[in-house]
Amino acid sequence: MKEYRDILCPVCGCLCDDIEVNVENNSIVKVQNACAMGASKFLNFSKERLKNPLMRKNGELVPCSLNEAIDHISRALVKAEFPVIYGFALSSCEAIKVGIELAEEIGAVIDNQTTVCHGPGVQGLQDIGQVSCTLGEVKHRADLIIYWGSNPQDAHPRHFERYSLLPEGRFRGGKKDRKLVVVDVRKTATARMADFYIRIEQGKDFELISALRALLRFEDIEQEQVAGIPKEKVEELAEMMRSCEYGVIFFGQGLTQTIGKDRNGDNLFALVRDLNKFTKFLVMPIRGHYNVTGSNEVLTWQTGFPFGVDLSKGYPWYNPGDTTVVDIFRRGENDLTLVVGSDPLAHLPRRATMHILEHPLFTIDPSMSLTAMASNVVIPSAFYGLEAEGTAYRMDGVALPLKKIVEPPEGILPDEEILRRILEKVKEIRGK
Amino acid sequence: MELIIKNGIVYDPLNGVKGEAMDIYVKDGKIVEKADGSKAQVIDATNMLVLPGGVDMHTHFAGPKVNLARMLRPEDHYKDPQRKRGVRRCGTGYSIPSVFTTGYWYAEMGFTLAFEAANPPLKMMHVQDELNDTPLIDKGAYPVFGNNWYVMESLSKGKIEECAAYIAWVLSAIKGYAIKVVDPGSVEEWKWGKGQIGDMDKQVENFGITPKEIVRGLAKVAKLLNLPHHLHIHTNMLGNPGNSEVTLETMKAVKDLVTNGELLIHMAHLQFHSYGGKEKDWNSFRSGSEEIMKYINKNPYVSFDMGQIAFTDTTTMTADGPFEYNLYEITKNKWMNADIEFETGSGIVPIEYKRDNFVHSIMWAVGLELALLSKDLWRVALSTDHPNGAPLTFYPRVISWLMSKKARERVLKLIPSSARSKTLLGSIDREFNFEEIAIITRASPAKLLGLKEKGHLGIGADADIAIYDINPKALDPERDYRKIRKAFRFAKYTIKDGKIVYKDNEIIEHFIAKTYWVNPHIREDLYNYINSELERNFDKYYTVKISNYKIPEGYLVKSKRIDIITKL
Amino acid sequence: MREIKLSLKEPFIPPLDCSVINTDNFYQNSLEEIKALKIWRGNREVSLEDVFSIHEENISEQGDIKIYIEGDLSKARRIGQGMSFGEIIIKGNYGLYLGAHMKGGKITVYGDCGSWVGVEMEGGFIEVKGNVGDYLASSYRGTTKGMKGGTILVNGNCGVEACGWMSGGIVKVMGNSGIFPGIHMKGGIIYVKGDCAGRAGANMIAGRVIINGKVDDILPSFKIEEVRGSVKVGDEKIEGPFYVFVGDLSDEGDGRLFVHVNNNPHLKKYEEYIP
Repeated sequence: MKEYRDILCPVCGCLCDDIEVNVENNSIVKVQNACAMGASKFLNFSKERLKNPLMRKNGELVPCSLNEAIDHISRALVKAEFPVIYGFALSSCEAIKVGIELAEEIGAVIDNQTTVCHGPGVQGLQDIGQVSCTLGEVKHRADLIIYWGSNPQDAHPRHFERYSLLPEGRFRGGKKDRKLVVVDVRKTATARMADFYIRIEQGKDFELISALRALLRFEDIEQEQVAGIPKEKVEELAEMMRSCEYGVIFFGQGLTQTIGKDRNGDNLFALVRDLNKFTKFLVMPIRGHYNVTGSNEVLTWQTGFPFGVDLSKGYPWYNPGDTTVVDIFRRGENDLTLVVGSDPLAHLPRRATMHILEHPLFTIDPSMSLTAMASNVVIPSAFYGLEAEGTAYRMDGVALPLKKIVEPPEGILPDEEILRRILEKVKEIRGK
Repeated sequence: MELIIKNGIVYDPLNGVKGEAMDIYVKDGKIVEKADGSKAQVIDATNMLVLPGGVDMHTHFAGPKVNLARMLRPEDHYKDPQRKRGVRRCGTGYSIPSVFTTGYWYAEMGFTLAFEAANPPLKMMHVQDELNDTPLIDKGAYPVFGNNWYVMESLSKGKIEECAAYIAWVLSAIKGYAIKVVDPGSVEEWKWGKGQIGDMDKQVENFGITPKEIVRGLAKVAKLLNLPHHLHIHTNMLGNPGNSEVTLETMKAVKDLVTNGELLIHMAHLQFHSYGGKEKDWNSFRSGSEEIMKYINKNPYVSFDMGQIAFTDTTTMTADGPFEYNLYEITKNKWMNADIEFETGSGIVPIEYKRDNFVHSIMWAVGLELALLSKDLWRVALSTDHPNGAPLTFYPRVISWLMSKKARERVLKLIPSSARSKTLLGSIDREFNFEEIAIITRASPAKLLGLKEKGHLGIGADADIAIYDINPKALDPERDYRKIRKAFRFAKYTIKDGKIVYKDNEIIEHFIAKTYWVNPHIREDLYNYINSELERNFDKYYTVKISNYKIPEGYLVKSKRIDIITKL
Repeated sequence: MREIKLSLKEPFIPPLDCSVINTDNFYQNSLEEIKALKIWRGNREVSLEDVFSIHEENISEQGDIKIYIEGDLSKARRIGQGMSFGEIIIKGNYGLYLGAHMKGGKITVYGDCGSWVGVEMEGGFIEVKGNVGDYLASSYRGTTKGMKGGTILVNGNCGVEACGWMSGGIVKVMGNSGIFPGIHMKGGIIYVKGDCAGRAGANMIAGRVIINGKVDDILPSFKIEEVRGSVKVGDEKIEGPFYVFVGDLSDEGDGRLFVHVNNNPHLKKYEEYIP
């Protein structure tokens, strides 16, 4: 039996790096320190998985060889006039690099899951900027912690324990020294722990932020209620924010995917910026997939843009609403879709995904997703952080090493290697 | 692979070569005495200027804050798309170029080595990720220590050896090259929302140590560790009127530590620290270059890089979080802040330097004055603190200003007269010659970095060579400054590790060159002590495990480790 | 006058980057040269005549140039980019970035348009007979410069975030508007004849947002100033009465938001705050 320590958990953006794992006969038998989500992944990841490349023949997905699958995908990529490569939030940064090179080689649009989760936050950042920090700063200093449209108790179970409310920092002794505020439309598990809970009317985040910002400029609010909240309570919240020593807002998709989207992020960042006139205040998105941050980082350092990058003309171009997959699908512009470790058919709006079924659709994924089932070719891949190593970025941009603790099933490669083989094949076909 | 560069006009100041027509032989990536003429590729460099590859010792081109700046500014990239062509990967400029573009731009200008100037150790894996992706230049990174808790605590207790051992441990663990200090003490206080510390004797809150003591302590540490590069400091009060006093105080603070005429302190982007006037009174803003240079000329333990600005739209980025907040307050531009637990902070604000702006035009003059007033160019390096003062593509312009009074006067005429009178530049006649340019862009920075195989073309040097299509014998830089600009922006050939990587406007090779880092060897008992201290406390300090904080050497695509025998 | 007619040969899947189709560019080129101009169809560079059949008519000394384009152009983008004179007439639905960075001349579209009509426009006139998408007269992401000058008339509805970061010019929307008309506006005027989905004038610093129809809510960071009888949009006088709000106070803004009194009885409560 082998015992591993300090293993990264390849599930959510918390990217906890203190997991202890016991491996026997190439199988994980014990997991310590992980949350229920993490433990379940470590123990069960290999149960329902795809073992063979598949290709659609006569309408049926049938097993094929890896070479056959790569050859088929590569030929289609070379032919395509506006291919889209989408995914990467569950890939290593090294795989993302190969994905970008492939997109550049064939003139594709490359996009990642940011486009449907925290993209609006990134766009807000591009208008205002973002006052932020690493998670350890919160642990050491924060006395006011606000979760806004995010529910870490359910979605990021160790966020409280490791990074925000509970840890003992240099200047704060844990929960007793901190105040927890939750802004949400319903009383979530996180909200139930709050010292101060604000039930906000669905889709009215922008209004509440505007009111807070006006109050910080000592303006009066000419409304009895804002976002369904009595004016006095809004004033109380503003005062709480202004008078804390060190405040931080963690926002989730409850903010970025409701009415106003990017402008909610935009206004929230402006609120936090304005608060720095009075005290120290910071803001951070709570990212979902464990390496969605990494996919933004790599795309940005290689192309200048964090997601939705159109490389069709031989140089990078970006404009969310134009170059983002949901919009491209909706307008019906792409003639091929290559999905890497994502399930757009399950997650994107139906109106957007109808189109991709009309053209070649290929999937690289460890498991048989809905998208894989509808694909023309499916290549099974290894799980990063379990069967393959690489780099991933935590939600606050700290890069950490994903490790390999078990061998993948025979013949199963990580995304990086699969994409590299496709890239090489594409170059060969194009006569390079 | 062998290469002969025939009959070029060579400037190699470290070897005393001043514009002689000569041949240079290259074999296996090194300069050699003689190559086999029958096998070698021959470049005819007749009437062309041949220099060692350029060395940029202070630039921000890779890592977390650079990438945040890229993310912040799509508008910076829209205006400068870089097309894929042959081996040349695509990318974007303008002031915060993507990694491939950065490497190509350096290569285009004949630069072959660049050091990333400010990096949080916690995010060093990100820095290495980008260095691993930056083609055609050797590089390295300076981690920041001036607001590090361990440093402040050990120094406040007078434990210099412990502090040195800690820094040795970190440099080796995360693959850093030198000790960088940014606004000592202030960044820790900024984490509570407080501003830059202007009083070098004020105690940093919660840490019982003053900025001056941090600087002195770290200068001692750099000496103890025998680091190839002395203490690299961005001192307090960057960008403020009257900050030359703090700058002088910083330099004076370590003077008594000099034992043997050695270099002790490198003043980064000195332009941003050389202003006269009264604190907070922008009307009193004036050049402070004269008093600064009077001191530096007399004190050979100080080196500096210019931090020249140019009139363009660019992006400021620094570990100096409180400064960036001030800049946001002044400009109301977008503002990013990214504090790093235990270690440091950072901020980003875009800025457009304008010729008709009183303050900006004085800043422009100050940078040039510093270089032109220097009596020892072996302690000066050209920089724009890319991209803080201007994007790296502006170096040729800076060179032309240094070489031509006429080029300077053209700008001086256009700046506000109220600003002109607050500068000395108009009264300075000095014009650098090619040798002097070769010193401040090659020989001096390589020497200041302690890299013996860089910055010259002597036998055994790395074959990093730039060939420019200008004839220094036939050209009058005073008059033909535009030709100088053009030639230095686009070299005729750039040779990296003995390979022609750029030629006639085309990138012809794309590979990843070396990453320099230091591995200081310290006494075993000291190492064990530090290691156990860190292992015991790491979970208290950080939110990552100590084993995941360390970066294995194999993570670097091409590692260039420098093992150091320290005094510990 | 040169009249050049383009008609789309067949429908296509990938987007079509037509930035070369602008009057300045065509005017300098012969018909043969125009046919050979390169455009991007997805990741392929093709010549204009691969996609359009192109004819030239009515060559006369008077006037400058008119370009007629017909077909389903809903995947075309950047027609009229940067043009400074002449006229483009589009018959059919059209895609993205109509008249981007336009400096002068006129574009008329008999159909609907996608997003970013008149992005960073500096001058000239755009008329769309149908609806337009999002970000009308706005900026690219991250750029804080929207429309600077000129006039846009939309006969139908507009999507979200019309006139974002706008600093000058006039935009009239005869139908309804999505949320955030005039977001981050720094100058200029947007007039919405129909209803507005909300958050009018968010983060505006200066300029005017005029909503003639119904608007559900006023942002809490706006303050009522007065009731005014009418408001001018260019040389047109729009009859009120209008509630006039000042904002966006969250950005220390001094913009004006006009909302028609008669169509918004639910805003009557604001009257008690009129100074």
